[in-house]
Amino acid sequence: MSNATVVVVTSGKGGVGKTTTTAAIASALAKEGYQVCAIDFDVGLRNLDLIMGAERRVVFDLVNVVRGEASIKQALVRDKKLNNLYLLPASQTRDKDALTEEGVANVISELRTYFDWVICDSPAGIERGATLAMRHADEAIIVSNPEVSSVRDCDRIIGLLDAKTKIAEDGGRMPKHLMITRYDTDRAKTGDMLATEDVVDILSVPLIGVVPESKDVLKASNVGLPVTLSDETSPPAKAYMEAVRRLLGENIPVTIPEEKKSFFGKLFKGRAA
Amino acid sequence: MKFKGKSFIAIVLSPEPPFEEWLKEVDRIIARSPGFFVDRPIILDVRGSNIPIADLEQLLADLRERSIRVMGIDGVAGTRLKEGMPPSFGGGRLTSDVEVPEPASKSGESGDAKPDKNNSQVKTDDDHGQNANGHSFAKSLEELENQQAKEGNSSIVISEPVRSGQSILHPDGDVTVIGSVSSGAEIIAGGSIHIYGALRGRALAGVAGKDNARIFCTKLDAELVSINGLYKVADDFDGTLRNSPAQIRFENETLVFEELN
Repeated sequence: MSNATVVVVTSGKGGVGKTTTTAAIASALAKEGYQVCAIDFDVGLRNLDLIMGAERRVVFDLVNVVRGEASIKQALVRDKKLNNLYLLPASQTRDKDALTEEGVANVISELRTYFDWVICDSPAGIERGATLAMRHADEAIIVSNPEVSSVRDCDRIIGLLDAKTKIAEDGGRMPKHLMITRYDTDRAKTGDMLATEDVVDILSVPLIGVVPESKDVLKASNVGLPVTLSDETSPPAKAYMEAVRRLLGENIPVTIPEEKKSFFGKLFKGRAA
Repeated sequence: MKFKGKSFIAIVLSPEPPFEEWLKEVDRIIARSPGFFVDRPIILDVRGSNIPIADLEQLLADLRERSIRVMGIDGVAGTRLKEGMPPSFGGGRLTSDVEVPEPASKSGESGDAKPDKNNSQVKTDDDHGQNANGHSFAKSLEELENQQAKEGNSSIVISEPVRSGQSILHPDGDVTVIGSVSSGAEIIAGGSIHIYGALRGRALAGVAGKDNARIFCTKLDAELVSINGLYKVADDFDGTLRNSPAQIRFENETLVFEELN
């Protein structure tokens, strides 16, 4: 019997890439050979199954399990490509009040015995759904875009991670990782976006990865494949793989994405001037 | 609107005449553990004693002199109590044991020998520091510290960043933060505020009416700073000090910003 590490993927703001990150991290860990389960806590707005291409195979969901209407094994959906990657989908028809704290605790503790990694996709915001998702986590990945509103909301979430989780209540500190997504080098240079250092400085949480803004992410989610599986050589996939290695404890420097065309871009600019 | 329930265990003092003797007993307890009555819910139980209101008034004054705040009186009808007296309480259930250093009820039950014996026991326990009373002695020391904290010259240290949405309130003294104060967070202190990091949120110092409180930070990027109610928002700051180490003090009804070097 293994004892899983439970990781919550969270942010204050919506649309920053939590679900993409959850799918990418979970599948990258599965590719490394671990038994992995991804849980969608975003009850009412389920999306993780879509991004992982499992939406047509969902029979039972998290709410059914929490309420004891189905067993965990019935509800788990196995990934098409990787047979050690599972998904516990959210319910589309209920709302987030359908989750009970005790039920979630039971689900997590049961999953701990089956898997090596349990990755929880948290809903946006600071309400019940989000606090339930983070409550039993061992580690947190905080997803932020390089823009002020996203950073501030993340700051708020970090405060909650240090106050409202099981670890915090037992007097511990939850290890936290910062994932910056939708990073656009050019716009960071011109000051339209916050630079990576600024985000890290404000949040003071160690950086686990910087994922460049890329069409590959959208392409991957449209075909229902986590970006780390659809195109392994794409820059976002590489960034996620690197983040996973860091999550596994490797000490490697974070690659800040560089615009590939920058050299030619400079050249052209030079000529034009 | 929400109503919540909270249960406290109150210390019940049952004064017995002659009150001078009884108060001496109380003094002895205070001498032994000065923090004992501090911030505890205390009920005065005069049930069955038919105490005259004038005596009760005197007794309350004597207790107040010893910084014992009586929150309620049991055994006197509310109509008999004078204005300014604690309200009449009733319906309390007796609990078997209150975990307190030296049982307060001892004083109520009189008996001069008992507390003295207790006293010597505490002393020996201090030497051995092992059994139950030894533990209670340590507890009273802690209470003493708490009391000193309450007396105003206290300071708290926060060794982690203060995050957006968090509020640190310490009306009794200084607040020191080792780390940054995020935008959307606030520090409210009775005394000065020291921030070893960036101040991006709000800092309100000297809220208990202290003009001489100051705000120090290693990087000034605040949304609002205030000393003794006088405030300035980011737009009114001196731009040259932005992102540099600064101190803010109160002088001639204005806030003075200075570079800290």
